[in-house]
Formats: sequence, structure tokens, C-alpha cells
Amino acid sequence: MKAAAFDYVKPTTIDQVLALLQQHGDDARLLAGGQTLMATLNMRLSEPQLVIDITGIESLRGISVQGKVLRIGALATHTDIEFSPLVARHAPLLKAAAPHIAHRAIRNSGTFGGSIAYADPAAEWPTCLLALGGTVVARGPKGERRIAADDFFTGLYSTALQPDELLAACEIPLAGVDHWFGFSELARRHGDYAIVGMAATARREGDALHGLRIVLLGVDATPVRARQTEALLEGRALDTATVTQAVASLRSEIDPLPDLTNTPDTKRHLAGVLLHRMLPTVATASATA
Amino acid sequence: MELNGDILIGAPREKVWAGLNDPEILTRCIPGCEAMEATSPTERTARVAVKIGPVRARFVGHVRMEDIRANEGCVLRFQGSGGAAGMAKGHSNVELTDEAGGTRLRYTAQAAIGGKLGQVGGRMIDAASKQMADQFFTAFNEQMVGVPEVEAVEATPAEPAPGATAAPQPAFVPRTVHAPQPAASGEGVRVLWFVLGSLSTGFGVWIASLLTS
Amino acid sequence: MADLYPIKVTVNGKPHQCSVQPRTHLVDFLREDLGLKGSHLGCEHGVCGACTVELNGNIVRGCLTLAVQADGGTVQTIEGLSESGVIRDLQEAFVRRNALQCGFCTSGMLMAAKELVEQMPHANRAEVREWISGNYCRCTGYHAIVDAICDVLQQRKEAA
Repeated sequence: MKAAAFDYVKPTTIDQVLALLQQHGDDARLLAGGQTLMATLNMRLSEPQLVIDITGIESLRGISVQGKVLRIGALATHTDIEFSPLVARHAPLLKAAAPHIAHRAIRNSGTFGGSIAYADPAAEWPTCLLALGGTVVARGPKGERRIAADDFFTGLYSTALQPDELLAACEIPLAGVDHWFGFSELARRHGDYAIVGMAATARREGDALHGLRIVLLGVDATPVRARQTEALLEGRALDTATVTQAVASLRSEIDPLPDLTNTPDTKRHLAGVLLHRMLPTVATASATA
Repeated sequence: MELNGDILIGAPREKVWAGLNDPEILTRCIPGCEAMEATSPTERTARVAVKIGPVRARFVGHVRMEDIRANEGCVLRFQGSGGAAGMAKGHSNVELTDEAGGTRLRYTAQAAIGGKLGQVGGRMIDAASKQMADQFFTAFNEQMVGVPEVEAVEATPAEPAPGATAAPQPAFVPRTVHAPQPAASGEGVRVLWFVLGSLSTGFGVWIASLLTS
Repeated sequence: MADLYPIKVTVNGKPHQCSVQPRTHLVDFLREDLGLKGSHLGCEHGVCGACTVELNGNIVRGCLTLAVQADGGTVQTIEGLSESGVIRDLQEAFVRRNALQCGFCTSGMLMAAKELVEQMPHANRAEVREWISGNYCRCTGYHAIVDAICDVLQQRKEAA
């Protein structure tokens, strides 16, 4: 289908965008990569009066190190992240997750900011941001504010962003030398929605993990942190018994929602499988470190 | 697809039943409900403006009540259409029982989703439905606990429907639209709303599949 | 509402100055306004890959890109790639391997294959399969397409 008619504007500054949002409110939609918005408009699930193209705003671009954080501009594409040397060094979890996102043509256009703002619970970036303990930088009429990932994803396709705010960038703590990460997802075909996926980060000391963040995608209305299992694993040597306990803990702490083809039990089981496969990589990483 | 749930409402059974049949209370609890009318004593049609993520859509649904047992429960058959995008059809059951602290409301719903939505949208329909059901029942419980024993339902004029090309109103404040006919079953409307919400959410979710794997 | 928006875009090496409705997709602009029918429309929501074209050097979904977003940019369609000869080996391999029947997916497949052989010259068969899984084919069953691409990867490696 073709999108319904709309007006189009391409501002060059964030202030212009904010002014337009104030003026038009819900009648306007922001366009970045368009990989979600354009499909929405094509199917006429939304008929805005105005599309505000933000891809002309230079300050939203770029991936750079700023002090102790890696700053990823809202307009960084999935491909940018996949091949960025800074990401490979300072947030390798993102590099590991990027190839799982749809296909190359989508990745060339789709943006990091768009994915975070859309907050699909089955998407890779929101889950990774939560696993990395990142921060969203929002710009609004009152200025800039920072929202921790733990506070950002509030419900299905819902975030802490106000309607008059723009997601400008995300900040991710630089990976330390003891950084351990894991990313895995299960889908029937590459590019499909994951049945369940997992992103995890921690600090590794010997064979034990500290400060774990284990996040699941595809099981609930938002990415889900497995806090009970994180606490269980804190500081413990990852022998077989511990891994078995952790898998059981994960399966007991999550309450998955089904989708058309997978029951809650399937998702619960598969979440455990992902953890079971991921934890032994800690020992391997230690061996090669 | 199936949805089950139960909630303890802090009010006696008769009041809960009356509330579920009160269109004014219902429309206050359903975000985006714009119009509701009875096409027969046991059938209702509703138009709901749904806002999830970037999706802004209006869906029309029809509900038929069966097996009506006053103060106890009923069965509802529903059908919703999102045009070319797909449709949903199903039935739902609501039961009220006394419990310490008020009334236990149990519901089950089963739906078959067809068309594009059925192919690709199923993955998070349950998540969206559950969230909307939770929102509805939280609001409904507040209405039940806050509403005085004897309530005169005031007629308020139905607001004119927005033009077809105008953007739907943001669903921040549910619009109060008084159905001119006798009460629709609350469960029917909720399930209808669940179905309608599912349709658009399923789309939003499938659309997100473009962005993510 | 929906006044025409002026754009300047270079398509297959030729500069164009046009006015388009903002809602026009890039692929509709290429097909209808410029008569370049080689790119096809399948699903119009980004999953089938038939509309794949190259914008500013990267493959994109023509149905999820607005023509106005190509303003100031460079587009290559299958016609351009074909004329310049950069995909001749891919086209010959497709013919030799019988990697097309109705041809509807072929332009998108070739666009995707071109980016693969350029960016992942050492791709193995599994990687080729994963890469082209963003392009649907209803006729061939895909194996012949994978064969053709693997042939070209091999040829280019040997030539290098």
C-alpha cells in the first residue's frame, strides 16, 4: 500500500525539531531510518499530517568516546554500529548483536535511536542497552536530561520519553579490561523475530562474574532483567552445579507471554537453554584472556 | 490465541456486575473508546482509537452477548476488523464469584486472528492484550472502589466523531461518550478492546520485525 | 498539504531535478517518474527485498525510503549496474546456474549479491544463505541463487 499524503520537513537543528513537535504534537511523526515508521505509514496504521525528517541534524550523528562513556548518536545506523572500531573495542556486545538485526538493507537505514525509542520488546538494541547499563540522552524544551536504561522501558512500545522530547543519543559505559559479555538469540530463520534472546554483561574475575546484568528479549512487554538469577550468580564459580541452579532460577523467575507459535513454556525452556549455553563461555574467555 | 486472567475487585458482586454493564463506567476505563452503540439488546458495536508506538488506528468491533446470568457472568462472541490488515474473531467468558475483600472476576478469551495480522502479528498480541486488560481492570477497580453505592448515571451528549482525515485524539484521557442505548457488557467491550488492541499491536510488532530480527 | 517537494538526485549517473509528493516511495519514484521498471514492488513493507536499490552506495529498501530522502543523493538501480558492467559476472552466473525463472526477485537478489561479494569476499555458503535471506524468491527454491553467488565469490577470489 501507499502511505496517505503528508507534509514533509527536514530541519537542521534539534531546536527546530522541538519547536515543530510543540506546534504539531501527535499530528507529527519523527522520521529517522524509517524502517518502522515507513512500514507503519505504508499500511496506513498511522496517517500523520507532518513527517519531520531528522536525518539532516548533524549533532545526532556519530559514535565517539566522551570521557568514560561511548556516545552513540541517535542516527547511528545498525550497520554503522556493526562495523565501528569504537564499538568493537568499547561495547563489543553491540557488535555481536548487530548481525541478528533483520537484513543488511534494513541495517543500512535503521537507526539506533529509532530502535530504542520504539522499544520493541523483541528488538536487540533495547535489550543490549539494558544489559550494558546504558543511559538515554533526551532533548526537550526544558533542555537535556538523562534516563537510565533501567528506568527507560516502561511498557509495550512505551518509554520514559515525553511526547515533546527527542532521543538524541545513548551513552554506554566503556568496557573495562575485565568485561565479559554474551549475546544469543533463537529464531526459526535468520531475520525472523527471535523466539527468545539474551544479552548479558558482567565483570569477570577468574572464573566468577560480578555485577551481572542478564536481560531477555521476546518474553514480555519490555526487555526483562533476570535479577534473581543475577544475584544467584554473583561472585560464584561457574561449575556445573551452579550453572544448573542458575538455569532453574531463570526458568522460575520469568513469566513469559506467549506469541502465535510459542507457548510460555517454550519460551521459558529456551531462555534456560540460552543461559546454559552462555555461562560456560565465561570459562573459555578466561582461558584465552 | 488465549488470554486468561483474574482480578479481585474491591466491591460486592452486584455492584461489579452493574459496573460492567454501565457504558459510562466502561468508556472511562477504555482508553480511546470513541463510540459505542447497541445494534440490538444483546449486540454492541464500538469504535476505538488505538495508539501504540507509532500506530494510530481506528478499529470497529462487534460483540454479541450470550448466556447472560445476572451478577454471575456471561459469554461474549466478538469480531473485530482492521480492514485489509486483518481481523479477529473469538469468544470470551467472564465469571464473578464472592471472595473476601470483594469480588473475584475471572476471564478467559480465545481468538482466531486472520489476514496479515494472523501471519505476522501474533507474537506480541498477548503482551499488548494483557497490558490493556491490566490497564482496563485497574481503572475499573478504581471506578468500583470510588463510586458511591447509589449512582445516577448522567446522560452526556456524545461528542462528534472526528473527521476521517483528522489524526485520532491522543489516548491520554479517555473520552466519555454516553451510549444512548442500555448498557453493554463490560466484558464484551473489554474483550472487544483486547481484540482491537491486538490488531493494531500485532501490526506494530510485525512492523518492528523490520527493524529487528 | 502534500505540495510537491523539489529534489535533485543522481540516478545511474544521470542528474535529475524533479518534484515529488512527500509520500512517494523511492522505488515508486524510480519506476513511475523515471521509467526505471527494473526494481519491483512486492510487499511494500520491507520484508521481500524486491525493491532493493542502492542509495549513496548502500543497499536499502526502496519501499521504506521516501524519494524526498534521496534529495542530494546518488541512486543505482539494476539498470545502472547492468549498464556499467559491474555485475556482469553475477548476471552470467545467475543465467548459467538457472538462478531465475520469473525474474521478479532477480533485480533485488543481484543488488543484495553485489553488496555481499564486495563486502564479504570470503563468505562461505552459510553466510551467503544468511545474507540473501532478506530477499524472497517464489520460483527457484534458492539453491541455484546461492550456487551462482558462490561461483562468483570463487571466481573473484581466483582473479584477485
